[in-house]
Amino acid sequence: MSEPSAELRRRLLEAEETLRAIREGEVDALVVGAIDREQVLSIGGDPEAFRSFIEGMEAGAAVVDDSGRILYSNGAFARLTLRASAQPGDTLADLFDPETARTLADCVESNREGLQDLRIPSGPRGAQKFLQLSVRPLQLGLDRGTAITLTDVTERIQAEREEQAERSARAIIASANEAVLVCDLRGIVTHANAAARAVYAGDPVGLSLAQIVPMTFVDATGLTGTADLLEFAAAGDAIQGIEATAQNAPAAKDFLVSAAPLRGAGDEVNGSVVTMVDLSQRKAAERRQALLMRELDHRVKNTLTLVLAISRRTLLKEQSFDDFQTAFTARIQALAATHNLLAERSWEDLSVRDIIDAELMPFVDIKRPRIEIDGLETRVQPRAAIALGLVVHELATNAVKYGALAREGGHIRISSARPRTQPDDPLRIEWREHADRLVTPPLRFGYGQTVISRSLEYASGGGAVLRFEPEGVVCDLAVPAVDVVDATV
Amino acid sequence: MSEGENRKLILYVAGQTPKSLAAISNLRRICDEHMSGRYEIQVIDLRENPKLAREHSIVAIPTLVRELPVPVRKIIGDLSDDEKVLVSLRIEGE
Repeated sequence: MSEPSAELRRRLLEAEETLRAIREGEVDALVVGAIDREQVLSIGGDPEAFRSFIEGMEAGAAVVDDSGRILYSNGAFARLTLRASAQPGDTLADLFDPETARTLADCVESNREGLQDLRIPSGPRGAQKFLQLSVRPLQLGLDRGTAITLTDVTERIQAEREEQAERSARAIIASANEAVLVCDLRGIVTHANAAARAVYAGDPVGLSLAQIVPMTFVDATGLTGTADLLEFAAAGDAIQGIEATAQNAPAAKDFLVSAAPLRGAGDEVNGSVVTMVDLSQRKAAERRQALLMRELDHRVKNTLTLVLAISRRTLLKEQSFDDFQTAFTARIQALAATHNLLAERSWEDLSVRDIIDAELMPFVDIKRPRIEIDGLETRVQPRAAIALGLVVHELATNAVKYGALAREGGHIRISSARPRTQPDDPLRIEWREHADRLVTPPLRFGYGQTVISRSLEYASGGGAVLRFEPEGVVCDLAVPAVDVVDATV
Repeated sequence: MSEGENRKLILYVAGQTPKSLAAISNLRRICDEHMSGRYEIQVIDLRENPKLAREHSIVAIPTLVRELPVPVRKIIGDLSDDEKVLVSLRIEGE
């Protein structure tokens, strides 16, 4: 075979091979055009492949012409518009409710050169479906059309709403005064507010509540611990207001605990919500009240015993009923004066000066120069106050009857006898009368003297010594150190 | 093997059409598997410069040209048939 014919044959075979390749779809572009004006032309674009792709999309897609008539739509478009199918030739009014169709028609008309997103509720009443609508101009050969895509954003909207609801819930939890701990079904803490620090010092999130806040319940039968409480709540039962002791809590241990199931959107139980109110203040108040009750009981009994003793001893010493009545009434009033003072100060300690003032009040104007009180701001406990009150009352009674206050010109000086230097030093007080006349000791000692000398002997270091000096009575009083409240020693 | 026995291959493609992309991928795979180190590939995009089609009278894309060793041979298509490609690229005496 000659060379030209061989070349011809080769080119023929090549031409046949090219045709075969085109026919069998092995090429997708051709070089066409005259020499020097070659162009590459894509061929064999498979419209079915694109159609399959569009049909497989989750988003709804449709192409409409100028008048809003459907030229093409995929299955998702019909599904999202709640139609069995959307046929070419259908109008927007056939597919959407009148209001949405109008909105869409407006978009088709007004958004030819842009993109606009809309959110439209769809679906049966109550069950809202949120669709995002996108409208975009499209060139269809020589005609203009509009591409409409619909994306179902219901889940996103719901997620946003749930997130908003959760943020609100978190804000509510955060602002609560009581400790709030949210647990999942395994009992792991998923949320906790700032007040939860009262039950656990660290960050409880991610930890097992039963392990970090073990509790024992005071009167709740059937609940053995925190895990039990969580199981109850997770089973759908609410437990309200049971007293618990959280032994590992950083400060207060006593709490009022409630637990409730945590229900999700579908009413299913996702976990539990535990609230814990600090009961320590209430418990402390209860303990204080119980203490006060016991103290009151004790004081009433003591006072009655004292009154009975005063009554019996006064009766023995006084000559007549009138004398008894006068002396007894005065002594009870002396006792009452100190009690009044103590009641005013909630049975806290009293200053010696206040006690003396209260007891001298019935006898003399304490602001007048006949009474001189020097210092005596030291405070004493109620027990010493009552005894001291009775002693001062007896001293004052004697002074009015026989001593410095019996006549004009006498006066009394009451002062601290000696500063205390040791904690167990008694508080020494000197009662010194200047009678402005010669004083002789009495021939007979009444119950008053017994009260003076014995009342402060109830504890170590306490007591009183009465002396009859020529200028007047001197009484050295010693308040037991145990009842002296003095920060300086 | 001497240097002169190396194949010089020119693949004509048209941008990133599916067949063009498939041909590039298939050619590299076949050469790697069967002619390691004994080939040189040049890819010419005719969409960028259609005039280059003239040298080998390219009409259909993709087309692979075995320029060396002579004689020149052409394989049209996306080179998905390994056997066919290997037959066309086989050097006499191999």
